[in-house]
Amino acid sequence: MFRLHDVSYAYGGSQTGVAALSHVSLDVAQGEFRWLLGPSGAGKSSLLSILSLEVQASSGMVEILGVPVRQTRRAGLARLRRRIGAVKQDFGLLPDMSVFDNVALPLRLQHRAEAEIAHEVHAIMKWVGLENRLDALPPQLSGGEQQRVAIARAVIYRPALLVADEPTNALDERQAGRLMRMFHRLAELGTTIVVATHNDAIVAKYPAPTIELLHGHLVRDHG
Amino acid sequence: MARQRYHDGLALRQALPGRFLPFLVGSMAFLAALALAGGIAAHSLSQRWTHGAGAVTTVQVPSPADPATATAAMGQMPATRIDAVLATLAATPGITGTHRLGDAELRALLAPWIEQTGDPSLPLPAVIELHTAPGQDVAANVLPRLQAQAPGVLMEHDSVWSDRLAALAASLQACAGLAVLVVMTVAVCVVMAATRAGLLTRRQAIGLIHALGATDSYISGRFATRVGLLALWGGVWGSMLALPMLLALSHLAAPFTAMGDAPATAPDWRDLHAWMALLPSALLWMLVVVPPAAGLTGWATTQLTVRAWLRRLP
Ligand SMILES: Nc1ncnc2c1ncn2[C@@H]1O[C@H](COP(=O)(O)OP(=O)(O)OP(=O)(O)O)[C@@H](O)[C@H]1O
Ligand SMILES: [Mg+2]
Repeated sequence: MFRLHDVSYAYGGSQTGVAALSHVSLDVAQGEFRWLLGPSGAGKSSLLSILSLEVQASSGMVEILGVPVRQTRRAGLARLRRRIGAVKQDFGLLPDMSVFDNVALPLRLQHRAEAEIAHEVHAIMKWVGLENRLDALPPQLSGGEQQRVAIARAVIYRPALLVADEPTNALDERQAGRLMRMFHRLAELGTTIVVATHNDAIVAKYPAPTIELLHGHLVRDHG
Repeated sequence: MARQRYHDGLALRQALPGRFLPFLVGSMAFLAALALAGGIAAHSLSQRWTHGAGAVTTVQVPSPADPATATAAMGQMPATRIDAVLATLAATPGITGTHRLGDAELRALLAPWIEQTGDPSLPLPAVIELHTAPGQDVAANVLPRLQAQAPGVLMEHDSVWSDRLAALAASLQACAGLAVLVVMTVAVCVVMAATRAGLLTRRQAIGLIHALGATDSYISGRFATRVGLLALWGGVWGSMLALPMLLALSHLAAPFTAMGDAPATAPDWRDLHAWMALLPSALLWMLVVVPPAAGLTGWATTQLTVRAWLRRLP
């Protein structure tokens, strides 16, 4: 769950930079699933970056999983990041590490046992249908396959907050459907999920409360 | 497929290659070891010249058994000249020790002359060795009083020499210290540059593991451990390369520094013990300390560099 109050964000500093978000206030409870909609350049990725602690809001109050971000020290923010999963628009895979190692990365950073890591990675990769590509490097995969690897890495440590930026744009309809069913299952288990998308068809097919941005302003918040 | 314990994407073997840093740090350690050795050698020389035999002043008292011509202090009975002189010297501040040469010592010292004149009954003067505190010209001040007590007293002393040598040794030590400082500064800069280059090549991976919740101390610790080990390794090499040079220099310097008598020829090259005995223990300790010091410097420099660099990430 998270709360934003009067949050603004500008790339390159609040004085001279490009305003990407203006005075956004939001309150999303634990286990909720939200669509994040808006035209290209509306600020969807920027909002998700604030939620995944990839950037800090230029102004306003951000509270994620009960932790007030501005008042928290760097080590505390690092701990908080381990409870957040993010699927990035550009996937964010390391090109020189195998698929297995990319997906195992969050667990390795938590110093889990290798046997446990292998077990978890195989299970999740089987679920996304890539269990036979574990030794491949990400550049050797198709766009949709890379996207599934990125999704696998974001959910492998069962985050309490999951933010996904256009997670279905490279997937076919059947895979997108599987992904949506997994998201709903994760939400039932208590994960708060925000999914940014342009895909009206999938929004129509899987109706859910919506956050809509336009030019960095919040124009719809169906709580 | 090998899955290593530290497969966290940092790929430090690639970011910080295993040859470049040890080579540079090793060269720095080598230079530092030579400079430190120079400093240590200068220190032991100056010790010898200011406290040891180098600072000896000799006082010759002719006809030592004759009565003194003036008393050492008010109210004292006139004594023999040698007693009066010894009493005056003992009461003079700045003189750290006196030693009257015995008859045998004296005859040994004067043997060549005694043989020449062929007269064993030649009246001999008394000879006193004085040790003075460094930097004080007490001996010259006390001479007029000694001459009043024992006419013909001669004083021979080499404090001009020893003071000069002490000043030279101090300057050499300062130069050595400066050289070590410069070498360390260069080493720190080299480590910083190498670390920055490593951070840049793995920028994407660092950004990713930071986003996945790796702490600053984890990332900086990983870099610092790698650099620290490479620097330690370089330090070991630098020390090992410096060792033969120091052994050769110690052998050359042995007659000037050793308290006992030094061997005139170099020990057999297989006789490790004899070589090691040549090396003053301070030098040996210095060689042992250089590698860990290099490792620690590399580790600390990298910690600070990486932590400062990570500040750009939120
Ligand atoms: N790195 C950046 N530097 C400067 N401006 C940026 C940067 N990233 C985004 N912007 C600007 O911020 C605004 C919001 O961008 P953002 O990426 O959040 O939009 P979006 O809604 O995710 O768009 P899309 O649907 O195309 O992904 C845009 O005007 C964009 O040009
Ligand atoms: Mg976007």
